[in-house]
Amino acid sequence: MPGIDSVAFFDAVASKMHDDPQAYEILGDVDLDLAVVMRRPDGSAFRVLIAFRGIACERVVELEPGDEERADCVLDGPLDAWAEMFDDIRSHGRATGRQTVNSLTLLGDRMVVRGTDPLGVDKFFRYNQTVQAFLDGAAGVVPADVS
Amino acid sequence: MADDSRYDKLPTATPLGAPLDWAWLRGARSEWGVHPKPGPRGLTMMDIAVGAYGEVPEVPPRRSMSPRGADIEDPQPDMGYILNRKSQVWAENVRELYEEAVARQWSATRDIPWGELRELPDDVEHAVCQLCTTLSEVEMIAADLPAKWMWRMNHDFLEVKMFLCTQIMDEARHSEVFRKRALANGGGLLKSRTSSTSLLRTILEAKTYTQASALMHLLGEGFVLDIFRQGELIAPTEVEKRIFRMAMQDEARHVAYGTLHVRYAVEHDPDVAEEIHAALDHGEEVLVDFGTQPDLSTSIAVLLAGGVDEVEEKGFPAQWALTVKLLTSYLARCERAGLSRLDRTHLPLDVLGIDPALIRPAA
Repeated sequence: MPGIDSVAFFDAVASKMHDDPQAYEILGDVDLDLAVVMRRPDGSAFRVLIAFRGIACERVVELEPGDEERADCVLDGPLDAWAEMFDDIRSHGRATGRQTVNSLTLLGDRMVVRGTDPLGVDKFFRYNQTVQAFLDGAAGVVPADVS
Repeated sequence: MADDSRYDKLPTATPLGAPLDWAWLRGARSEWGVHPKPGPRGLTMMDIAVGAYGEVPEVPPRRSMSPRGADIEDPQPDMGYILNRKSQVWAENVRELYEEAVARQWSATRDIPWGELRELPDDVEHAVCQLCTTLSEVEMIAADLPAKWMWRMNHDFLEVKMFLCTQIMDEARHSEVFRKRALANGGGLLKSRTSSTSLLRTILEAKTYTQASALMHLLGEGFVLDIFRQGELIAPTEVEKRIFRMAMQDEARHVAYGTLHVRYAVEHDPDVAEEIHAALDHGEEVLVDFGTQPDLSTSIAVLLAGGVDEVEEKGFPAQWALTVKLLTSYLARCERAGLSRLDRTHLPLDVLGIDPALIRPAA
């Protein structure tokens, strides 16, 4: 099974979002290009763009180095920090305590939210509940979902 | 226009003899048949900003509530508007923000999992209640202030008024949800100090709307946005987490409007930059007084430390780091607004460890 540093994993998370439109309807529309960067111990990194439109994840696309800067905002951290976050989500059904994506980026010691435009970064806060719900969807991702 | 010969036979007076005017039925000077196309999510304010209806005049010709784009009879009564230039109120993102606000409304009664509240240690419950007391107090200013100015805004700037209406509703909900949380778990409302009211009065008494917007949206709500971010981090239960996350979304919209309003104002009338700077010079001082008031700072520090036992070792250092982040975000937004504060602010950037060079490129 591909790990969390794969397009297949985020495609599977996106499909969970599409399976539950009512949950996202309540949260409201989103217009956000979110880049995720997972830095591996060997110095390489996985970069993916998650584009949200309306109440759907419109596309998940792997990015070339540097292309993440064109997103509204970037969530950037070491792979093991991402793995801890997803482990917490899988264990509890949703992120708990300081494993929410806002908490992780606010402390900033393990993961940062950044962007070239402060208004783009502010989109992360404007749509935070939806982003968190999207990531919490990983709780329901099982190996069969990831191809 | 379809065959209107039928209209020639319409009565010219009511059954009681009052004269009738069918001008609206025979066509008007307004644009007809624009056919805006709904998008996948419905018909938005962006969709209907078509033709003349989408043109917002720099200086509206009237001071009435006549709908922009209608066939308007003159002369119209003067509604007493004093904000009659687009640059005094407009932001390029205001239509999108209005739609976003409407789509992302929530209920403090229904959408918070109040049933998941559980008994907390006494010091933590007191800290939550103190934070909620302060937030319940300060949130309503962001409703009172737009209400003070909205009726003075020219009606051609309808979209701004509509957005500010959503802000007023947001702030009512914030006052509601923090008041509810303070009371809901066996605690209650705690201390209220003069520094809170001093900050609120400074915002409310701003001499111009743009000054007020800079003080409220950029400075005050930017500050509160970061408090909400911290709140989500330090929330002891899922209840507070959800509260702060939902309120954070609302607050970020208000900040986004203010940032681009100030930008629009400065771009179209560079003379206003100095008056905004002057307002922020004073506002930053008052905000520092507010931010360092004992109740707010200590309650956040206790929550950051998970209780009073490690407030010195963990709480205050974490709070300092978050304060630096908060002020960095504010200064970056000012850059984005085209109003660089880096060489003007009296905030002690060196003491805070904020490097202006790292903020400037963000603009």
